[in-house]
Parts: sequence; C-alpha cells; structure tokens
Amino acid sequence: MNPGLGQRMLRWTVLGLGFAFLYLPIVLLVVYSFNSSRLATVWAGFSTRWYGELLRDRQMLEAAWVSLRIAFWTATAATVVGTLAAMVMTRFRRFPGKTVFGALVTAPLVMPEVIIGLSILLMLVSVGSMLGIPSKGMVAIWIAHVTLTVSFVTVVVSSRLQELDRSLEEAAMDLGANRVKVFFLITLPIIAPALMSGWLLAFTLSLDDVVVASFVAGPDSTTLPIKIFASVRRGVSPKINALASLLIMAVSLAAVVGWWLMYRKDQRRRRDMQLALQENA
Amino acid sequence: MLRPSRWRPSVRLLVIAVPFLWLLLFFAVPFLIVLKISFSRMAIAMPPYTPVVEYLDSALTLRLNLGNYAALFADPQYVLAYLSSIQIAAVSTVLCLLIGYPMAYAIARMRPAARNIALMAVVLPSWTSFLIRVYAWIGILDANGILNRFLLWTGLVDAPLRILYTPTATYIGIVYCYLPFMILPLYANLVKLDQRLLEAAYDLGARPWKAFVRITLPLSRSGIIAGCMLVMIPAVGEFVIPEMLGGPDTLMIGRVLWGEFFSNRDWPAASAVAIVMLLLLLVPILVFNRHQQRQMEGRLA
Amino acid sequence: MAAAPTDGTHAGTHAAAPAAVDPERYLRIEGVRKEFDGFVAVDDVSLDIRKGEIFALLGGSGSGKSTLLRCLGGFERPTRGRIVLDGQVLDPLPPYERPVNMMFQSYALFPHMTVEQNIAFGLKQDGLSGDAIAARVGEMLSLVQLAKLAGRKPHQLSGGQQQRVALARSLAKGPKLLLLDEPMGALDKKLRSRMQLELVNIIEQSGVTCVMVTHDQEEAMTMATRIAVMDQGWIQQVGKPDDIYEQPANRFVAGFIGSVNLIEGIIDEDQPEYVTVRTGDFPAPIYVGHGITGYEGQPVAFALRPEKVYIGKQEPDGDNNKARGTVEDIAYFGSHSVYHVRLPSGAKVLANFANMKRWDSDGITWNDEVWVSWDDNDGVVLTG
Repeated sequence: MNPGLGQRMLRWTVLGLGFAFLYLPIVLLVVYSFNSSRLATVWAGFSTRWYGELLRDRQMLEAAWVSLRIAFWTATAATVVGTLAAMVMTRFRRFPGKTVFGALVTAPLVMPEVIIGLSILLMLVSVGSMLGIPSKGMVAIWIAHVTLTVSFVTVVVSSRLQELDRSLEEAAMDLGANRVKVFFLITLPIIAPALMSGWLLAFTLSLDDVVVASFVAGPDSTTLPIKIFASVRRGVSPKINALASLLIMAVSLAAVVGWWLMYRKDQRRRRDMQLALQENA
Repeated sequence: MLRPSRWRPSVRLLVIAVPFLWLLLFFAVPFLIVLKISFSRMAIAMPPYTPVVEYLDSALTLRLNLGNYAALFADPQYVLAYLSSIQIAAVSTVLCLLIGYPMAYAIARMRPAARNIALMAVVLPSWTSFLIRVYAWIGILDANGILNRFLLWTGLVDAPLRILYTPTATYIGIVYCYLPFMILPLYANLVKLDQRLLEAAYDLGARPWKAFVRITLPLSRSGIIAGCMLVMIPAVGEFVIPEMLGGPDTLMIGRVLWGEFFSNRDWPAASAVAIVMLLLLLVPILVFNRHQQRQMEGRLA
Repeated sequence: MAAAPTDGTHAGTHAAAPAAVDPERYLRIEGVRKEFDGFVAVDDVSLDIRKGEIFALLGGSGSGKSTLLRCLGGFERPTRGRIVLDGQVLDPLPPYERPVNMMFQSYALFPHMTVEQNIAFGLKQDGLSGDAIAARVGEMLSLVQLAKLAGRKPHQLSGGQQQRVALARSLAKGPKLLLLDEPMGALDKKLRSRMQLELVNIIEQSGVTCVMVTHDQEEAMTMATRIAVMDQGWIQQVGKPDDIYEQPANRFVAGFIGSVNLIEGIIDEDQPEYVTVRTGDFPAPIYVGHGITGYEGQPVAFALRPEKVYIGKQEPDGDNNKARGTVEDIAYFGSHSVYHVRLPSGAKVLANFANMKRWDSDGITWNDEVWVSWDDNDGVVLTG
C-alpha cells in the first residue's frame, strides 16, 4: 500500500527536522574551524591557521596518540571478550549462573560512566597491587575501557548470531567438525562483518570517553578527550573546532568508503544471483 | 577416526569463564569495594581514606562510618541533586521519545536502500567526538550564538534568550547526545513490524491514527522500553553535559560525585553518592537487564 | 562411475563392523522416545530399516518425523530408547562422530566457500590428503553433473544446482546412512518431479541406506521403497507404497494418502470368503469379496478410493455395491475430473473419471442422476 502524498510529506518533514537537529552543530563546527577570528560566533574570514596551530600543539598530538593506542587495544580485547559472551548468550544451553552471566553482560550498557570510573579506580587502588596493575595509567584506562565497551560488542555480535541460520553450523558438525572447528571455520567467517562493526563501535566509545578515563588516567597517560575537556573549560578555542573537523571528515570519509564497498559487493551478489537464475531458465 | 571428545567440556568452560571473570572482576567486584569505602572516612594518606577493616590488638575490627550516608540525607543539596537528576533524565527521555519515535518510524518505512543510508546518517554523528559536539552547542546557545541571532533576526524575541548555563541547555544537550540511542532500538523493532497487519486493520475500517495506536504502538513496546532505558538510566548519572552546558543551577548527581572526588578529594563521600545512585537505579537496571537478556537469547516476542 | 563405499569403510574410518549385521536390520530404531519439556514429540518408535533401501518418514507437521530424523543425525538425544547402525550404538556420539550425513532442507551450503570447498569440507575434517580429497570431490561432481560449476559460490547457483551440491556434499564421505530433510521442499513443482527421480537414481547408484522425511505423500510414494506414516509421534503404518495405498491400516492412513471415500457401517455377515457391511448410506449392504478378521456387529469403516468408483447413467447389474445419487460438484483437473455425488442419505461419494474424450458433451454434468458402483474387491474394511 503506497503512502499518500500527505503522509510522505510528513515523513520527509520529520526526517528533515530531525537530521537538521543532529547535524547543525557538526556543520557549524566545521564552518567555524575555518574562521580566521578567535570568536566562535563571529565570522571574520576564511583561514586555516587553527589547523596549523593544532598540528603544532605537541601535547594535543601526544594525547591523540595515547588515545588511539588505547582505543585500538580496547577494541581488540572487547571484540574477543564480547564475541565469547555473545556465543554464550545465543548458543549455549542454560547452565547454573546463566542469569547472573546475562546480568553482568547487559548491565554495563546502562551504567552511568561516573560509577564505572569511580568503581574501577577504587578497585585498582585496593587490590591492583596484588594483581600487579598500577591504579593509574594506560593499562588502567585500557581495563576500564574494555569493561565499558564489551557489552556493546556483545549486543552487536549476538544480534548477528541470532540471524545466522543454525543449519549451517549443524551441517558443519554433521560433516565431522567439532564445535571449536565449526566456530572458526564457519561461524566466524560468516559473522566477520558484525565483528568489524563491534570493533569499530568499541574503538569509537574508547576514543571518545572522558569521564571514565579521568578517574584512571595517570600523568603520562593523558587522553585526548581529557585534554579537550580541560581546554574547553578554560575557554572556547577554535583549535578544538579544527580538531573536531578533522575527526568529522575522517569519520565521514571512512563511512562513505565503507558504504560504497558494501554497496558494490551487494550489487555484485545480486548480479550473480540473476545470472544463475537466467542460466537455468 | 573416532577421536574422543574429552576436551570439549573444558573449552565450553573457558568460553564462559573469560567474559564472566573479566566482568566479575572489573565490573561487579568494584561495586563491593565502592560499598566498603563508602563506610570509610576521608584521610590525608595514600590511599586517602581510613581503613574499614583493621587488625588491632589481635582483634579484627570493623569500623563502619555512616557519616557519609548521614550527610546525604541531612543535606538538602544532595537530596535535591538526586531528585533533579531523575527529573532531568525523565524529561529528556520523554523528549527523546517524542523526537526519536517519528524519526525511527519514518526510516523503518523507507525502501531498504534508502533505509541504510538514513540509518548511517543517524549513527554518523555518534562516531564523531561527543565531547566536541556538546562543545559546539556552547557556541550555538550562547547569547551571541547562532540560535539567539536567528531568533533576533526573525523578530521572535526582542532580547537574546539566556539558554546557555541553564537547565534548558542541559535538556537540549542530553536529547541531542542520546537521540541515536533512542532511535536505534525503536528502529530495530519497527522495521520488523509486518505491514500487512496495518493493511488488515485499514481493511477492517480503522483510520490510520487508530491503527497506529491500537496496533503499531503496542507492538513496538519492546523497542520503546529498550530505548527509554538506554537513555534514562545513564542520563541520571550524566556529568559532561550538565558541566559544560548547564550552569550552577543545574544540579545533577554526576556532578556532585565528580566534585566530591576531584575537588574535595573525598573518596568515601563520592562512594556513598555512587552507592545511593546505584540503589536508585537498581530497579530500572534490572528491568532493562531482563528485557535485554531475553532479547539476546532470542526469546522476546 | 565409482560408487561411494558403503561397506563400513566410511572414508578415513578404519572401524569395521564387529560381527555380521543382518542387512534387514541395518538401522535399528529401538523404542525411541523424545520429550521436550513434557511435550512428547516422538512416542516409542521402533523401526528396522534394510541396508540400501530408501525409507520415508511421512507425516504432517507435529507428527514427530523431523525430530526422529534429528535423533538419527545426532542433533537431538532421545529421552529413551536407542539407535543402532551397522551394529554400532549411535546415541552417545555427537553428530561429528557419526557415520551419518544429512542433507538439510535449506541445503545449508557454506556461503563463504565454493562448491568444491563445500564438498571437500567433510573430507578435510577426516584429514585426508589433498590429492585424495581432490579426487573424491571430482567423483562427486561427476555424480551430480556439476563439474563445470566447481568454482562458484552458492549464491551464484540456482535452487536445483544448490540441491545437487548439497547432495554431493552429504555423499562425499560415503556415509553408512544418508538423511534427507524435506529434500524437495525448496523447489517449485515442475522441478520437483524431475529431481525426485534424479535424486533416487543418484542414491541408488551410490548404494547408501537412506532415510528421508517429507510431508508430501506423492514424494514419499515416488521416491521411497518403504514408507512409515507418522502421526502425533507414533507410527501408524509401515509398508511399501502400494501396500499403504491399497491396504491402509486405519482411517488416518486411508485419509492421509490420496483421497478416499470412508463409509461407516456395521459388519452384517462375517464369512471366510466374504463379508457384508450394513450401512445407512447405501440401500443394500456392501459386499466385500474377501474375509477379514472381525466379528458380526463390529463397527467398521469401508474405504473406497475414488478411482475405483464407476459412475454412469445406467443402473449396474447386481444387488450390492451400488447406489444412486445426484452430481453435486465436478472438480476439473484437466486429465481427470472428480465427481461429487450426493446420496439420498446425505453422504457424499467421490468418483474419479479420466477425461478420455475431449469436450465430452454427452458426459455427466451437474445435477445429473447417476449410479455409482464398484467391484467386490476394490474396497478395504478398516477396523481402526
């Protein structure tokens, strides 16, 4: 049933306003990053000086490097742990304690970050020495970030696992592969895109976090968000705009490239299926 | 070739143990430690609190200092902060729902190709730094910012509105940042809705609005719950947004905790604030928990 | 063309059957019962399946046939009972250790592997050498005539081609038992009839013992050497297709396979050479030309297949096995028509009539008064 014109106009209005709301700040950020004046509210001419200043800011760049490294290791660890958790949630039969397991896996999704940050710091201070982990520093941030992001990975991966046709895994077992082999030979290759999504999600969440990191960061492990937060409190600086714009452009580029690759793959698939049908006609 | 599968049970145990132990150790156990320290007292020491369990004179003594909790209930500021946090979170959730539901609905009804692009467009802002986007709102809501200049230019107001550094700015900020968290679960739910159910309703004489209220809305209940929980619960403890956009009038418990920890260096007080926050959120968290678990296991209708 | 080894030398296995197994009881299903949370899916089923035969489990949804098949494959464990294949008890073995292979309803072809890799998968799990695997894959591809498509991925194949790959994959390891789960379920009608015979040819060529599950009685009758009709978890009847069709054991089987006229009545005379059944639907008692195990006064159902019923305007000779009625409906199927004849008693008799003449305008039409009749031995008396 085709929606009437009125309905369709309503739909486009809603989406138009919604997207305008979402993208207005981003557009403004980018525009003002090229503003030659210091004021974020008055346009004084096109300039790239803030980009230059940004690239000369050693501390900012170092903080960015710290953040990138932590984000990478966080994403990797969170993907491994999160995928294991997703397998347990979707593929394992009930076992004593599965409810507790489920609670542990879903609670971090909604836990306020101040609580996560405080609790991990206090825990590392209390027992960290026993485990050989310093209570502040890159390892501490890594631990905190993995804990923060692992549930998100689990949600993404378990959603994909549920959609996966079980008979594929059963067929593999039927042909002689035990469960471990089935996972690595069949399940993993097929859900790989979901793992990639999860990895990217964890990467972004880690890169973006300021609250949790603030609790467990040490003097030599200042992350980029911490630096930005401190800098913003001192006053609005267009260098931040420049940084934001760079980030936005990088992310947009990656998103467009990713989308285009998927689109092409999809097109090819569809063409193949058409060919197969035609051959047999 | 009949290799014995003796090692299989231990693989299964390993798969369960790794995530379980990690989350137990770094998510659950820390709460117990926070609880313990909430009974302590601030001290000039490393770590900066007095011990709760001590071994004095061959006796294991437990010193439970309830002063932190007493302060929470005695000082009206704390109580106000809790209530204010819940209020702000609740109102923001409703606003998110009112904005997010129509958007999710509209996207769910698009053609599959257009849908994916629209979804990506919704999620894309979240991939850029949330901190910086909140910072952008400072520029927008400022007395000289875009919003005020637009309002003045159209003549809707005579003098610039004071939005920045008020609770209103906090609402805007929270809705802005959490909107994707509302849209995604709603969309996931709405996109699975069978169009033919609505067609059957129309066929039986129901007008579009009625069909929506009687059929679509109840069936999207699960998405609504998920979305609301995903927004409301973390919003209660939100820190960055009220700190950057709300002024001194915006009391949120996240800021209180932060202040106790970083400004006052009072770890026990911060712990007590955290524990009470947890208790307040316990029921919603459990509701979300059950809902999410069942969904992950695929048992949700 | 080499046949798949089915003498117990499962490719890569060196476990031969310990003692000579009775080929009539190659696969023994002994008292298998499967419960799910109190719901009984399979209710004490026992079957003996011959080596090399194609055996069909036929039933509607919920009949337990799929559950039983999954028990054979190792994907469900019976609550009670056991399964023995070629002398080996299968129950404690997980699917990857059984000399059993299954062709799934959805084919379950691995989407990220080519046709070759799909077929080779099982052989790789057995640790065969690359050359042995390549040789065997080549054999299989020739068997199903897909040699030219070896490098394609599943989504590049049509439904029929996918089915053949799935079959080749499940035969590659030369299993002792091949399981087919609704083999024609995913194909359209035209393709189905052709593939049914092709599939049977391939399976017979390889000589493997086969158990298939289907809800389509035509499929079962065409493909299988023997059929077990299942309903609500237990077996209603086991036999060859023609036995089941012509000699159904009870009302359920009679009604499930093909269409049938079921007339209720009571045994009047019970003699060794004949039986008469009194019924309110026909004026004279039904005369059945053979004896049955029953007794006088026993309530029975008389089952008469529509194609055995003569229909005409003239009254037939004889006192019994005929009745007069009005043609209420005619269902036209092109090759034949089914006449729905309403009797004075209110009962309806179906009669099949081949349309041997084109545009038969002298033929029977709606509201005609007709006589239906049948021969003495064309019907079956059912006591169950």
